[in-house]
Amino acid sequence: MVSESARMNSAAEARFRVQAPNSRPRATAVIALDRDSQSVIERLAGAGWQHASFFSAASADSLCDLSGRTRSLGDEVDRADLVVLVAGPGGRAHAASAIGEACSRRRVMTTGFVVAATSAPEREVSKTLAQLRPWSLMVVIAGHDSYIDDMLTALRV
Amino acid sequence: MLRKEQNDLLTRTGPDTPMGRMFRLYWVPALLASELPENDCPPVRVKLLSERLIAFRDTSGRYGLMDEFCAHRGVSLWFARNEECGLRCSYHGWKYDATGQCVDVPSEPEASGFAKKIKLRSYPLVERGGVLWTYMGPPETQPPPPEWEFATVPPKQTFTSKRFQESNWLQAMEGGIDSSHVSWLHRGDLNTDPLFKGARGNQYNLSDARPVFEVVESPGGLYIGARRNAEGGHYYWRITQWVMPSFTMIAPRGNHSVHGHFWIPIDDQTCWAWSYDYHPVRELTDTEVAAMRDGKGIHVRYVPGTFRPLANQDNDYLMDRAAQKAGRTFSGVEGIAMQDASLQESMGPVVDRTRENLVSTDNGIIMARHRLLRALKAFTDTGVAPPGIDPEHQRVRSAAIVLPPDVPFTEGAREVLIARPAVAPASV
Repeated sequence: MVSESARMNSAAEARFRVQAPNSRPRATAVIALDRDSQSVIERLAGAGWQHASFFSAASADSLCDLSGRTRSLGDEVDRADLVVLVAGPGGRAHAASAIGEACSRRRVMTTGFVVAATSAPEREVSKTLAQLRPWSLMVVIAGHDSYIDDMLTALRV
Repeated sequence: MLRKEQNDLLTRTGPDTPMGRMFRLYWVPALLASELPENDCPPVRVKLLSERLIAFRDTSGRYGLMDEFCAHRGVSLWFARNEECGLRCSYHGWKYDATGQCVDVPSEPEASGFAKKIKLRSYPLVERGGVLWTYMGPPETQPPPPEWEFATVPPKQTFTSKRFQESNWLQAMEGGIDSSHVSWLHRGDLNTDPLFKGARGNQYNLSDARPVFEVVESPGGLYIGARRNAEGGHYYWRITQWVMPSFTMIAPRGNHSVHGHFWIPIDDQTCWAWSYDYHPVRELTDTEVAAMRDGKGIHVRYVPGTFRPLANQDNDYLMDRAAQKAGRTFSGVEGIAMQDASLQESMGPVVDRTRENLVSTDNGIIMARHRLLRALKAFTDTGVAPPGIDPEHQRVRSAAIVLPPDVPFTEGAREVLIARPAVAPASV
């Protein structure tokens, strides 16, 4: 007699998997921390994500949306399930600590993303990493900005 | 989440598929050298990338890998006689050499030259590190032989096994770069498995169950760094290597051997999980090799006479609920390899990735898919060779290292992530 595992692992049994939705949308805030990352955010925002908001860091307690309006950092972090911090090399991601602290207080997951890293001197990337690392539960250094698109898709944003 | 068409693209590796064509640009492990132990030994059936092949070792020691079936009536050459530098079909005596060239058709006059017009598709088969490797792509793009360190150190420093896995290659490979599952699924094994226990690094693992991850593109694939707190504000880093398309090397522990895997598609619903253990600067001890043969570490015990794990889906993986309840194993399945394989097989032959809910700690998996898809597009659109073929991309090492907090692991571990002969691995 075929074991339960053998039967249930089969392609035939896969047809009977429950197809009802198994998750609710998660809200993601994507924040540009410096000028290098601003253009990446603007490009991303044009792709029509359903559950993402795009900002640039403005001051210690505020963000700027892409139309230039000021938003409360606390309110936006409250609304988010995930905050993606995007920065270029050079160590200009000074806002990372304020945003990171706000996320930490509210137990919101953070992912740090360094763009344009492959063409920059390593010490410039290191400066940014040093700013992102304390506040990011995941850090990604990718060769192509298109990775952020794939990441957001993978996370169902 | 991965769209269905992307999932199909990555999981289908037959000869007429884009991923199949890309996989065929690499040297891949085909079988263990010990499966063809002597000249004129019995031939062995090999199924790779959805192609049924036969491997043999002829009278002069030449290895051959070719279409399994005789060109005459389609009989399997597994029944053939291995004699006088060729495989002779046992049905009507047609004979093939190690290149697949037919060299004798007894029913036709030799002078007719008929035999010369018959040739089976064949692939090169070379021995390195106790493994027979094949290249199944176009001859004009055949790269130099593989340079993986485990396959180039002296024989007494390395041990390789393989096991049959009843799932698509991609979900098996993704398990190998999913570092965050270790603290759960394998938590019972760090202090008990003879190939892991005793390393100082284990204490960092066990005392900090919430590592922070950094994923960085490498020339051949990815570095996946897992960071945990160490003494004096320093960080303990475990850096896994993934090299395209399916090689992984897990960070070492103490003076134990270094280990990792290859996942090679047999067809779209099964794969070979190759598992290697080696030490760059010392011979493996008899005790270590005995433990590996006994299924410890990342190896398995087999159903006798096969490469099928003793714990398999037909016996519910020897599920031990009492051990699970007592905390001796987390899932109730014994051994690291089968803990992984049992869960990966439970996903079904090809997991439906449209229904998964990835989280940010899955970025290693997301990035690997991204790199595979990017390389696939470049290869399909413009013929660009994918990463991982260049021998330079293969001379890599994983590492376990303690670094100051302000030093990126790609900088602090730069030298130790490259394989250098006679240089000890970075391990804690």
